[in-house]
Amino acid sequence: MTAPSQAVSHLQPVLRLLSLPKRMRLGVGPMIAAVVLLIIVLASLFAPLYIPHDPLAIDALNRLKGPSDAFPLGTDAFGRDLFSRVVMGGRVSLFIGVGAAIVSVGLGLVIGLVSGFFRSADAVIMRIMDSLMAIPSILLAIALVALNGPSLWSVICAITIPEIPRVVRLVRSVVLTSREEPYVEAAIALGSSMPKILWQHLMPNTLAPLTVQGTYICASAILVEAILSFLGAGVSTEIPTWGNIMAEGRLYFQIKPMLIFWPGLMLSLCILSINLLGDTARDLLDPRLKKREA
Amino acid sequence: MKFSTKSFDGVPPVLSIENLTVGLTGNPAAKPVLNGISFQIRAGETLCLVGESGSGKSVTSLAAMGLLPKSALEVTGGRILLQDRNLLDLSSRQMRDMRARHLSMVFQEPMTALNPVMRVGQQIEEVINTHTRLSQKDRQKKVLDIMEQVHLPDVERIYRSYPHQLSGGQRQRIMIAMALILEPQLLIADEPTTALDVTTQRQILSLISELQAKHGTAVLFITHDMGVVAEIADTVQVMKHGELVEQAPVETLLRHPQMDYTRKLLQAVPSLTPRPARETAAAASALTVQGLRKVYGASGWLVNREPTNAARDVSFEIPRGRTLGIVGESGSGKSTVARCIMRLIDPTEGSVKVGDLEIATLGRAALRPHRRHIQIVFQDPFRSLNPRWTVGRSLVEGPLNCGQDKQVAMAKARELLALVGLPADAIDRYPHQFSGGQRQRIAIARAIAMEPDVLVADEAVSALDVSVQDQVLKLLDELQQKLGIAILFITHDLRVAAQICDEVVVMQKGRIVEHDTAANVLGNPKHPYTKALIDAAPGRDWDFANFRELKAASA
Repeated sequence: MTAPSQAVSHLQPVLRLLSLPKRMRLGVGPMIAAVVLLIIVLASLFAPLYIPHDPLAIDALNRLKGPSDAFPLGTDAFGRDLFSRVVMGGRVSLFIGVGAAIVSVGLGLVIGLVSGFFRSADAVIMRIMDSLMAIPSILLAIALVALNGPSLWSVICAITIPEIPRVVRLVRSVVLTSREEPYVEAAIALGSSMPKILWQHLMPNTLAPLTVQGTYICASAILVEAILSFLGAGVSTEIPTWGNIMAEGRLYFQIKPMLIFWPGLMLSLCILSINLLGDTARDLLDPRLKKREA
Repeated sequence: MKFSTKSFDGVPPVLSIENLTVGLTGNPAAKPVLNGISFQIRAGETLCLVGESGSGKSVTSLAAMGLLPKSALEVTGGRILLQDRNLLDLSSRQMRDMRARHLSMVFQEPMTALNPVMRVGQQIEEVINTHTRLSQKDRQKKVLDIMEQVHLPDVERIYRSYPHQLSGGQRQRIMIAMALILEPQLLIADEPTTALDVTTQRQILSLISELQAKHGTAVLFITHDMGVVAEIADTVQVMKHGELVEQAPVETLLRHPQMDYTRKLLQAVPSLTPRPARETAAAASALTVQGLRKVYGASGWLVNREPTNAARDVSFEIPRGRTLGIVGESGSGKSTVARCIMRLIDPTEGSVKVGDLEIATLGRAALRPHRRHIQIVFQDPFRSLNPRWTVGRSLVEGPLNCGQDKQVAMAKARELLALVGLPADAIDRYPHQFSGGQRQRIAIARAIAMEPDVLVADEAVSALDVSVQDQVLKLLDELQQKLGIAILFITHDLRVAAQICDEVVVMQKGRIVEHDTAANVLGNPKHPYTKALIDAAPGRDWDFANFRELKAASA
């Protein structure tokens, strides 16, 4: 069997998902969510090309100014341009969200497959996962930051580690139910090796629920990052993120509430859109609803 | 063969279905699922609806119960009259009131039809609560009374039991008790004995006719099993593709079927007369099983349960090119034996030799290269093929594992498809594009692709319609003649065993109770259990394919 054809068949659920808006009419909500998310992603991605100011440039003469032509959303307490900071902050937030989702889904998938298929490994792995689940991500992040200093990777680690057990459990449950299927037993009888059965027969069954879980992890990672930054345990304060823009704005909330409003609005819109799309993905991938699609 | 000879002249109809048409919801252009069905059931009559899967039997019954899934099916014309009331005109509230009181239903699978977290006594009582006002004492008395009537033992204890604590037969008795407690005029039974063992099936069938005689209930009985029809029907309706093909009193239909389709259906019913004996093969043994034993739940760390012997002292031998059948009821250990031989589970002790190779004690990895010698076909063709894989990919999975070149394997797969009677373009299609029978052919082709010496067929035709069953059995026979495979055929159906097996092993509670040639086991059973099994096979005295009594029985 050639590698490309396998890859294609593994991607089928995802491809099906991507072509769905065409094949079935999405509701208004998910459509708006998709558009909003797309705008936020594009705006953040291309931010360096169009921002009017360096988000770190301090301008002592223009502190806490209202919106003007030069500063579209006004400036913060150091005279930095709020607009530039918010769109640049989106880059970090989205990177952490997507990064945490990919890392935890990837690691969780592998561990979950092994745990679901091999009974002996299962007992050990699941106890480790149980103990990982007991670690609150905020505390873990504070500990990691204390050890390694504030950095993007400490934050991603702090978010990923408590998410992995959830992914593992999900994958494991899918594997446990589908390993009893006669087609898996037939594959054993046909002499397929364990890695081959795991990857080619069992793994594709987990892709649909993982896609959905991934979106939730992404949304929650963005939120956790904001919380960590707000607490000062997140990414270094020199890098603007939605969280630390809000943390700094908190001091001037009474004078200039817009400092919190804009990053907060972006954060809420972003998470709301991702969650809405995740819900839609779950509904579409639900096998009971899939029949109607056919 | 004693057929029902009750006459229903002048008995008023309980249920009349007139020109009933059911179509796909919101799709008037599609072919109707039921196309102008009309029939009547009179008080005390048992009407059997027979037909293959997809013929519309269940849709008819669900329409009468007002239980059609609204999002998929809707009644587009006709009337369903229950004693002059058109059920189709009733509101869902009125319809709810009719159910259980005037018409009620028994489903195929009693485990899923009962609520697993509620005591069965309360579940029966719930029916009374919903429809009548009785004091607590009267209700309980009534429930215990109906439980006595369905011949449940120790009713006080069973009243307090949960469904999982009861056997399949007892659960079906509970379902019948629930259906009949308010003495409805009509009982609809949708394949009520299909999930049960033959001996249990027999008890349930006689229970239904006993209660029917007592209460004068009309019974609409849906089944695909002609044997059951011969046992219980007064009148038979044959359905095909949503249309009625033929209606006649049972004896007339079985003796003088008028329509071609009915004949075809009857001719496909496998006969209980064993196949003509083939000369005993002098060929070397392909599969030898010696003292096989499988124990479950032996005591371990912190666990100390009574170990269960799922199979013990199982020994038999199959020569090349011959078929050995294992028959027995559920729980007899026949599937355990099959899975041990396939090494899908590890036998506790004993020896399994394929040719001269001992495989019972080989490690997993050491076994893998030898797997190709022994292949399996499973019962459920809907689950035994990976739904995400094309047929071609499934077919070459095994050969590729043996290191065959992909091009060669694909070419071979095309040949195999032709061999099992499927079109060549099937290779690029997905399993869901095929019918159950076709999928079973694919599963057989996949097993044959490995060029095995032994093929294990675990209830391989049990999920198929009789006509398809017939074709698949013929295919297996043909492949055996061409390729000289030894077949281990596991089935609960004596008729099927009679058709394909040279030798039959009868298993009960994990042990072999009888082992002889098919002719001897079926024609001259020695063990009481074998006798009971044959005795319980419905319609055993009737030769369906030739529309007459079996010669052995009439002699």
